Amino acid sequence: MALVQPEAAVAATESGTLFQLPSPSPLMRRLGGPLLALPTYQIGTALADAPPAFTEVGLRYSHYSEDSIDQDVVIFGALDRYDIDVTQLWIEAPVGASWSVALDVQNDYQTGASPWFVGAQQDGDPGVIMSGASIQDNRVEVGVTTRYFWADGNAGFAVTHSDEDDYEATALAFDASWNTADNARTWSTSFSSSRDTLNPSQGVIPVFITEEDLDTQSGYFGVSQILSRTAIARIGLSYTLSEGYLSDPYKLRDQRPDTHERLSLSAGYRRFLIDADASLQIDYRYYADSWGTDSHTVELAWAQNLRGSLLTPYARYYTQREADFFSVIADTEPQHYADDYRLSSYGAVTLGARWAVALGESWTLELEAERYMTDADWGVFDGKVAPALVDFWRGTVGIIWRFD
Amino acid sequence: MGGPARLIINCISERKLDLGSVAQQVRTLLEGLESRYSRYQAGSIVSVINQRAGSNIFTEVDPETQALLDLAGRLWDASGGLFDVTSGPLRQAWDFRADGSADPTRVDSALPLVGWEQIEWRGSSLRLPTAGMEIDLGGLAKEYAADSAISLMRNLNVISALIELAGDVATIGDSEDGKPWRVGIRDPVSAGSLCTVQLSNAAIATSGNYARRIDHDGKRYGHLLNPKTGWPVEGPTSVSVLDSHCLTAGAVATVACLHSEKDARTWLEHAALPWLMVSSKDKRSGPIADRFAAPA
Repeated sequence: MALVQPEAAVAATESGTLFQLPSPSPLMRRLGGPLLALPTYQIGTALADAPPAFTEVGLRYSHYSEDSIDQDVVIFGALDRYDIDVTQLWIEAPVGASWSVALDVQNDYQTGASPWFVGAQQDGDPGVIMSGASIQDNRVEVGVTTRYFWADGNAGFAVTHSDEDDYEATALAFDASWNTADNARTWSTSFSSSRDTLNPSQGVIPVFITEEDLDTQSGYFGVSQILSRTAIARIGLSYTLSEGYLSDPYKLRDQRPDTHERLSLSAGYRRFLIDADASLQIDYRYYADSWGTDSHTVELAWAQNLRGSLLTPYARYYTQREADFFSVIADTEPQHYADDYRLSSYGAVTLGARWAVALGESWTLELEAERYMTDADWGVFDGKVAPALVDFWRGTVGIIWRFD
Repeated sequence: MGGPARLIINCISERKLDLGSVAQQVRTLLEGLESRYSRYQAGSIVSVINQRAGSNIFTEVDPETQALLDLAGRLWDASGGLFDVTSGPLRQAWDFRADGSADPTRVDSALPLVGWEQIEWRGSSLRLPTAGMEIDLGGLAKEYAADSAISLMRNLNVISALIELAGDVATIGDSEDGKPWRVGIRDPVSAGSLCTVQLSNAAIATSGNYARRIDHDGKRYGHLLNPKTGWPVEGPTSVSVLDSHCLTAGAVATVACLHSEKDARTWLEHAALPWLMVSSKDKRSGPIADRFAAPA
């Protein structure tokens, strides 16, 4: 393990030739190992890569609740939309001097109704036919990640399997990050591949497929740069290709292309404000895909250190352009069509706050609440107004235990 | 810690900095470290361990002391036993204080009291098994103190500072003029400096056999002792090493001086840090000397 180097530690001779202090040699890593335990050698912004010093066990519960749909836009069906209970349990532990392993188990329990299709009301305005009786579904996902650390970086390999009544997915993922010699820059990359299999349940809503597959490959490349002792910036580019069945089998009029290419460019900036003992976080993401959708996301967060806790209020704005084949009431003549409100033009605002409270040295309590609101008028892109845009609340409580 | 201290802090106008308070906190920190690690202070952890040598009492050490002792152990291992914080009893034979003298006949009686491998550990507690054994962390504590002072000042929002403890220097940021701190490397032969290096968020430590010497049987000996033979080493006159931290720079420089000049060069190449060595024949070598000689 290597000691943290202060920002851009450099030395030069009188003649002006610079020594950029090199990446620690194996000898220096060996000598520096014991010192990593000392606060003197911990700078915070640029820690040398090392397995976690503690075993971490966490339990988190989230409740996601969509607002009921407005009765005025419903032609038929239940008004209650989805409620989802998400329970997550994870454990991450160091293994030897250079490895860590993590196990993540998540259970989602979903109830409620969703839009089946959009038709015309008596006055000609579009109206939603909901899925009728409440759907109940349970999904279990299990993931194992093993990670190797060396002085200048780390690499992880993950296997994830997800299973529910009508859907099964298996994914493999590899990621790596490495730091430059001065520890001021970190390069990151990741690749993942997944195979999903759909077996839609025949229920109240008729479905027209029995089994379909979907293959997805994704890649990411990014870099983060320490700009000063108090500022860091990052930028990244990701590309995802999905091939296979991409339509929603639980929607009546939904026929999407069988390929979906997605590109996103993300950037972020963090600035620690010493006097306020807080950090300002600004994130931006641009997304575009082969279906004609593109979107902008901007998030502002303020992470405020309080006595023994960290409070982070945040606000996020999202706007997207509708897909080429979206229409409010789907026209089934073209090759591709959909009336899914998620493919329409709209804007969304999320307001929320996270609060992490240290309970002694070993325990951390996490609380989070957020409100998500959408409106076609809030978007910057023109488009037809979908009647079933959704608002929701999400609340999370988690407890984390770290021990030797 | 047996040497002069110098602290320079630049106050940048837009920063709210109470210079007097910062300086006082640094002083308190240094005094605290000295009281913990000086073998001359009866209440220090080092003195307590040494006073209990030969008894069955184990002394539990705090994580900071444990880390410094762990580093000492790794240096002992990496140097093939040349760096040994238990070498103190050899002072019975070699007294390098002013007007000191040499009595090599006492080497044989002192050597059994020397040996890192003799220390007995029980978790984070240790014991020196033989009366007369002692440990001395002075060779690490000074550089650790410089790093600790730098860390403290960073936490106090200091963005430009230099601390020098008995010739070892650590810096934060650049100097007042916005350029890296200019630090001279002392010439071990004359009173001047060999060259000047410029440091920004970096440290330089020098170890050498030139500062304290004694004459014996017509030969001049430096104060660095080989814990295996009990006799002074015949290594480089001085070695200076640059690193981001003073403690690691100092440790590498000290071990280099315990080696022969040839082995010192190999050791320094393994450390892969910028270094400058002055040989016993006053020949300068190493990346710093090479760069210094290179045209600008």
